[in-house]
Amino acid sequence: MVLREDFVNALLELDERKTIDATKKRLEAGEDPVEILNDLKYVAEKIGEKYERGEFFVADLVMAGEILKEITDLVKPKLDELGKVRKTIGKFVIGTVEGDIHDIGKNIVVMMAGVAGFDVIDLGVDVPPQKFVEAIKQYNPDIVGMSGLLTFAIDSMKKTVDAIEEAGLRDKVKIIIGGGRVDQYAKEYTGADAWTLSAAEGVRIMLRWIDEKQGGVNI
Amino acid sequence: MSRQPIDELVERQRTEPEAVLKERLERLAKTIELKTTDRVPFFFNSCSHALSRYYKMSEVVFNYEIFKRAAVKFVEDFPLDAFMIAPGVESTTLTMGLAIVNEYPELVSYYSPWITGPMHDILRDKYTRWPGREVGPYAPPQFYASKFMEAEEYDKLIENPTEFILKVIVPRGTENLSDLGSAKYVATITRLILERQKVSEVLDKTLAEVRARGVPTITPGYCKAPLDCIGDLLRHITSVLVDLHRCPDKVKLATEAILPLALKYAEATTPPQSPLPPLPRLLFIPLHLNDMLPPKLYNEFYWPTLKKIIVEMYSKGVRSYLLCEGDHSPHVNTILELPKGWGIAHFERPKNFIKDVWEKLKGHTVVMGGIPSTLLIGGTPEKIEEYVKNLLREVGPEPGFILSTGVAEIDPTTPAENLKALLNTLFKYGEHRR
Repeated sequence: MVLREDFVNALLELDERKTIDATKKRLEAGEDPVEILNDLKYVAEKIGEKYERGEFFVADLVMAGEILKEITDLVKPKLDELGKVRKTIGKFVIGTVEGDIHDIGKNIVVMMAGVAGFDVIDLGVDVPPQKFVEAIKQYNPDIVGMSGLLTFAIDSMKKTVDAIEEAGLRDKVKIIIGGGRVDQYAKEYTGADAWTLSAAEGVRIMLRWIDEKQGGVNI
Repeated sequence: MSRQPIDELVERQRTEPEAVLKERLERLAKTIELKTTDRVPFFFNSCSHALSRYYKMSEVVFNYEIFKRAAVKFVEDFPLDAFMIAPGVESTTLTMGLAIVNEYPELVSYYSPWITGPMHDILRDKYTRWPGREVGPYAPPQFYASKFMEAEEYDKLIENPTEFILKVIVPRGTENLSDLGSAKYVATITRLILERQKVSEVLDKTLAEVRARGVPTITPGYCKAPLDCIGDLLRHITSVLVDLHRCPDKVKLATEAILPLALKYAEATTPPQSPLPPLPRLLFIPLHLNDMLPPKLYNEFYWPTLKKIIVEMYSKGVRSYLLCEGDHSPHVNTILELPKGWGIAHFERPKNFIKDVWEKLKGHTVVMGGIPSTLLIGGTPEKIEEYVKNLLREVGPEPGFILSTGVAEIDPTTPAENLKALLNTLFKYGEHRR
């Protein structure tokens, strides 16, 4: 337990060296690598809380992402060696909407959602509405994320939500929009279910949706 | 519908543009001096995306004649108190300008901070994506920071930024300048300069036509915070954020090495006299990493060099105009370290515009912004009127407020009646009450 606490605390303090050392120690002590990865879901929630309290900024999320990637790289070979697979908590399709090529925010979301336990399907940037529709049909996700930095992206998000609606798929997914220009007005205009400025907060919202779904609440 | 104040102003700027221009210049100049004026001004700053409400975006940024027509039409339809327009986005030319300014300040005007569509075709730069080229014809041109420098190269940058930028960064970031010293390299520079001359001529004509409609054109100098120069032009944003943890001392030294170049670039690009008295000389500084940094990192790596630029330029009679991307409220108190009346701070989306920004800065700094672009896109004229009325009431009679959209853009899908509702409400309720 001490090792786990050291690991979590070092990660939340963004202490790269301490976190990597703690990960190695846990693996050397013979801990189940799945347990280590499951701790990352807790970490993702804590990071979300810190962001909401104004204690974490994008710079912190980027650094956390770097450390989390290193942890995953350390744990993965052990996982493969033992033939274990981490159970995913839900399926999440994400892309930067058509006409927008910005991906910094999207990439942080991809990383954090993966860490939190989602099976993430990243459609890339400049994604046309039809491609979102096809991805929903193909992967049957729980949640669809639309990212975009530009003001232009707001209209693209609306067109994408409309296309999902027209395809008769709107009831099957929750939709979250994110990026520099989104707000409550954008949420209302696009018809999304939630909006966020931050990957950390976005993943918290998504985890809540999954909890609600598993608790029998319709999403 | 009865005749509205906006209709009267549209007619006045057509029939007596000189008088309207004079009124607007005085209004804005007084506001910048933090003095009471007849009403709050509306200042709009655009990278041309707003102009694509009339023409395809690709036409606006690749065809200068269409750019000119669209800019003029925009101010005829929407009577702005001040208009700042760039026909493109930041790119290689800014990087080159920063590199040469130490030795050739008089040539920096050929290396504008932004490039147009045809300049992108000439350079094949990797900093930007363009409508009808890398993205669809209706999408705006976009700055896309890439990584052109490795963390191990900070020492080279610190030792000689000019040489490092010209010999390493420019070739990496620009396809047609990748072979240093080749015939193609020389041809590309020559074509770029010839194109830049064309752009200057068109831009001068465009701005003159806008002024002939009674609308002041804002043509400031240009500069970036040294940490943004590293994040946007050299290392990429996410890489520099990681560097702040892994090699903080080198990042700090690099910002200090870039500071003299940034400062000289600011001086070289700022007009020696005000182009439109009584407006002061202005320097535009768009901030990028600000919103992403926690105060501790902002105060240590971002603000010190940025502050030096603002203070130094202020001592030369230049007022800075900061465009604070994202939520700048965690850093607002640092602005109070600047001398009173130093310039304009344009806020994109502080959590609470009145409490976090206006109440803290009024009487010290000119505060600009207040309107979410999303409200203009998706709201109704009634909703917008209510929002603007409420905002003006909360701002109160204190001078030094400029109404604008938060982000420096008005999406072309914004219904004309919404934009008109915004201006109409300002004209009806924006007078200073003392």
